[in-house]
Amino acid sequence: MIEPLNPSLNQVSIEPAANDLPGLPPGAEAIIALRGVAKWYGDVVAVSDLTFGIGLGVTALLGPNGAGKSTILNLVSGLIRPSSGTVQVLDRTVPGHTMVYRDLGLAGEQEQLYGSLTGREFVRLNAILQKTPNPDFATERTLALVDMADAADRHLGGYSKGMRQRIKVAAALVHDPRVLLLDEPLNGTDPVQRARMIALIRQLGEEGKTVVVSSHVLSEVERFARNVLVIVNGKLAAAGDFRTIRERMDERDHIVRIRCDDPRRMAAALVVEPVTTSIRMADGRLIAETNDVRQFGRLVPDVARREGIRLFEMQPVDESLASVFSYLVGS
Amino acid sequence: MATLWRLLPVTTLTVRQFTGGRTARLVFVLSLIPALFAAIYVARPWEVTPAEFLVDLFRELIVPTLLPIVVLLPATAAFGNELEDGTLPYLLMKPVSRLRLVLGKYAAVLLVTVPALLAGLVVTTLVASRGPDARDLERILVAMAGASVAAAALLSAVFVLVSLVVPRSLLAGMIYIFAWESLLGRFLPGVRAISSREYALRVFDGLLADDFPTASNASLTMLVVAVVCLLLAVWRLRSIQVD
Repeated sequence: MIEPLNPSLNQVSIEPAANDLPGLPPGAEAIIALRGVAKWYGDVVAVSDLTFGIGLGVTALLGPNGAGKSTILNLVSGLIRPSSGTVQVLDRTVPGHTMVYRDLGLAGEQEQLYGSLTGREFVRLNAILQKTPNPDFATERTLALVDMADAADRHLGGYSKGMRQRIKVAAALVHDPRVLLLDEPLNGTDPVQRARMIALIRQLGEEGKTVVVSSHVLSEVERFARNVLVIVNGKLAAAGDFRTIRERMDERDHIVRIRCDDPRRMAAALVVEPVTTSIRMADGRLIAETNDVRQFGRLVPDVARREGIRLFEMQPVDESLASVFSYLVGS
Repeated sequence: MATLWRLLPVTTLTVRQFTGGRTARLVFVLSLIPALFAAIYVARPWEVTPAEFLVDLFRELIVPTLLPIVVLLPATAAFGNELEDGTLPYLLMKPVSRLRLVLGKYAAVLLVTVPALLAGLVVTTLVASRGPDARDLERILVAMAGASVAAAALLSAVFVLVSLVVPRSLLAGMIYIFAWESLLGRFLPGVRAISSREYALRVFDGLLADDFPTASNASLTMLVVAVVCLLLAVWRLRSIQVD
C-alpha cells in the first residue's frame, strides 16, 4: 500500500507502520526514531517535519546534494541538537547520552583526518576511546574488513579520498556498533573498492545491524538497500521499499531522445502508438514522451525495422536523480 | 608509546598533533627568545647585574607577553583545530565524559608548554650567568619557574575555554594578551588586579622573598580560576554543536 506522507508533497510510502512511524515495516522495532524534527540556522531551514523510523538492516538516505541528508545523520549522531522534535537512538534521546556511542558509529562527510597519525593508529585510537576490550585485535580485524591492512602504516595525510573513506568506515566499525551511519561512503572510491564497500554494507545489514547509508546516486542505492528514505528540500518525500518507490517512479511519463536517419518518418510511425504521449523534433533528433518507458524501449527498434529506418541512438533523458526528485515533490 | 595511547588517548593524540604540526616547534622557539636577550646582555652588559637583568626580563617581557603567547598557541589549537577541520566528532562520539576530554586536552597543553618554558628559563639563566657579578641566579630561576608553571596552568585553562567559546580564538587571545596583559594591565590598577600577570608576579615575588603565604595565596587564586575555566569548558563541550 502506498500512502502520502505529507499533502504538500507527492510522496509515497509502503505500509502504514505499526508504531506510527513512516519507513518501518509493520511490527518492526524502531532502532532510530525521529519525531517532528526540524533544524534551522537563523532563517535557513535545513530540515523540517521529519517523522520516521529506521529498523534493522540497511536503510538508504537518498536525496540530491544539499537536501539535508548530512544534517539528518548529524542529528542522529547527536552532533547537532534539533530545533524542535526529538531524536532517539536505541530508545535513548540524543544528544545527551554519551553512553549511546558504545552502540553507534559514524563515518561522516568531513574530509580532514588526523594527518599526523597512521591509519592503524587512527583506528586503534577509536578502539581505545570506545573502550573496546582488545583494541589491537579489533583494529586488525576492522582494517582487514575494509581492505586497508596493507596501507595502515601510512600517514592519513597521504591517503587518497577512497582510502580516507575506508579508514573512516573502519574507525566507525571498530567497536562493532549496533547502529552504523555512513555519509556517502562510496564517494571517491574506485569500482573495485565500491563493490567491496557495497558487499560490506550488505553483510553488516545481514548480520542484524542497523546501517544507514546516505547517497545521491539512485543506481548505487539499489545495490545495497531495500529500505529507502527519500529526502528532498529537507523534508521526507518518500519512505519505504525501494522497489515500490521505483515502480511508482516508472509510472510517470518519461522523455526519450531518438537519433535516426529519417526522424520524420519515425515520428509519424511512433505518434500513432498508444504509449507515445507526445513527440517533437529538436536539432535533428526526436524527443518523445511516453507513459510506458519499457514498452516504448521495445517499440522503437521494432518500428525502425518495420519502416527500414536506421536507428543510431535511443536514450532516456530524464533518468537523473534530480528529475526523479522533481517527480516526487510534484513540481 | 602503545601504553601511553591506552592510558591517555586524548592527551597522546593532542601531543602528537602539536609535535606533528608547527605548534610544538613554535612553542620551543618562542620559549628560547629570552635566551637571545640574555645573549645580547652578556655580549654588551649594561650597568645591571645578571640577577637584576633576569628579574626585569621576567617581569617586563616573559610574564606579560611571551609566556601568554607560548601558552596561547597550543591551548587554542587543542580544541580549535579540531573544530576548524571537522575532526572533533571523533572525540565527541565516544563514551567518554566531557570532563575527561577537557582534562586530556589541558594536560597535553601543559605537557608541551611547561617543559618548553622551563627549558627556556634554564637556558636564559645559564646565558645570563656569564654576565658580571652573577649571584643569586638559582634562587631567581626557581622563582621564575614556579611563577611560570602557575601562570601556564591558569592561562592554559583560560585559552582552552576561549577556544570553545570564541570563533577566532587565536586572534582574540592575541588581542587579550597585548591589550589587557601587556598594556592596560601595566598602567590601570583595576585591570592589573584581574590580570594573570599580577598573580604570576605575586608568586614570583613571594618565592623570591621567601614569602610563601603570598606565593601560595596567589597560586591558590590562579588554581581556582583555572578550575572554573575548565568546568566552563566542560559545560560548553556538552552543549557544543558540530556540523
